[in-house]
Amino acid sequence: MSKAERTKTKTAREKIREQQAEARLRERRRRIATYVTAGAVAVAAVGLGWWYAASNSQAEEAAGALASVTVQPDGSVVMANQGVTTPVVDVYEDFQCPACKELERVSGQTFKNLAAEGKAKVVYHPITIFSQEPTKSNSVRAGSAARCVADGKQWLAFHDLLYQNQPSETEAGFTVDQLKNWGKQAGVTAPDFDQCVTTQKHADAQLSYSKKIIDAQKIDHTPTVKLNGKEIDNPVLFSPQDLREAITKAAK
Amino acid sequence: MTTVARLVLGGVLIAAGGLKIGNPADSVVAVKAYQLLPESIAVTVGYALPILEIVVGLLLVVGLLTRVAAVIAGLLMFAFVFGIAWAWAHGLRIDCGCFGGGGQLGVGEEPTYLLDILRDFGLVLLGAWAVRFPPGRFALDGALGLGGDNRIEGDDDDEQG
Repeated sequence: MSKAERTKTKTAREKIREQQAEARLRERRRRIATYVTAGAVAVAAVGLGWWYAASNSQAEEAAGALASVTVQPDGSVVMANQGVTTPVVDVYEDFQCPACKELERVSGQTFKNLAAEGKAKVVYHPITIFSQEPTKSNSVRAGSAARCVADGKQWLAFHDLLYQNQPSETEAGFTVDQLKNWGKQAGVTAPDFDQCVTTQKHADAQLSYSKKIIDAQKIDHTPTVKLNGKEIDNPVLFSPQDLREAITKAAK
Repeated sequence: MTTVARLVLGGVLIAAGGLKIGNPADSVVAVKAYQLLPESIAVTVGYALPILEIVVGLLLVVGLLTRVAAVIAGLLMFAFVFGIAWAWAHGLRIDCGCFGGGGQLGVGEEPTYLLDILRDFGLVLLGAWAVRFPPGRFALDGALGLGGDNRIEGDDDDEQG
């Protein structure tokens, strides 16, 4: 092999090596591109799904004045404009139940708005569904305290405060002092309110009403919301838009 | 073996996410029941978790981005193990909410914390295996030339799923 030939082979080999390096680089770029694309698609899917779920559960804004609220003799509370009798939306709830708090957060305003628009008669039934301590006692204390409020508007304000301040399920909460305080915050004017709360005057009424409702309506979980006597499924119940649609449709 | 780990872990995630996805509010309640996260974060996690489970599960099943997906899946399962242990240690009586539902247990229901933890810990191990030996057979990663031998996605350190 002459010197010239050797140089030639060398450059040829170098060329091949360069080409290989280039090919590797291309391959590497292609891999990264695939990886990044797939990753971006996956992240976008998660983001979109989250956004969809969040927007679906977006609570309505308060639209203005409330419908008139009246406390019934049995302790249930009717919220409806005058003359509106259908459709009936029965809300069976327990002040201590976290899912009820979630319902209140997501769809509570929808109930209020629909009642104010005259599109529904909303009936709240605060019951005690828990049988274990401390949740049972918490629920009974809160429920019987709510029964000490005779004025509808004040009752609803108290109702909302109870959910906002719901205690953990593992510890005693809704103490008598707290309940009296929240009553003050809610503007409760009944003169015997404090005493009524302290003595848990309506604890028995709360329990017997709960038993009656649970048996009659076959309630095995709270919240249970019935539209004209038929239970609304959770996916609808917890999506303000769908809930509004379902109730509005029933009004026609 | 990696393929089996991928399919089992991915399948479980898809099932878990699928049962939750129709009802994000339930999922939020389940997350809140652990009393581990502040309110606003619990809500976000509740909404995001089902979809995250499904997407990661799908990636695992088809074997795309195997290593990354397995790391996330392993971390998720690890978080679940921690969450359940936390609930147990704090005497909460909740359903793990692993497959939808969740929240406070009803009357006569008993928590099954130990079983839940063992199951999820087994899944952590599957995740770790899939991270160590990706991507297994019948994986898109292999077909696309993104096999486990390439070092684009970090090194062996991330097997700590």
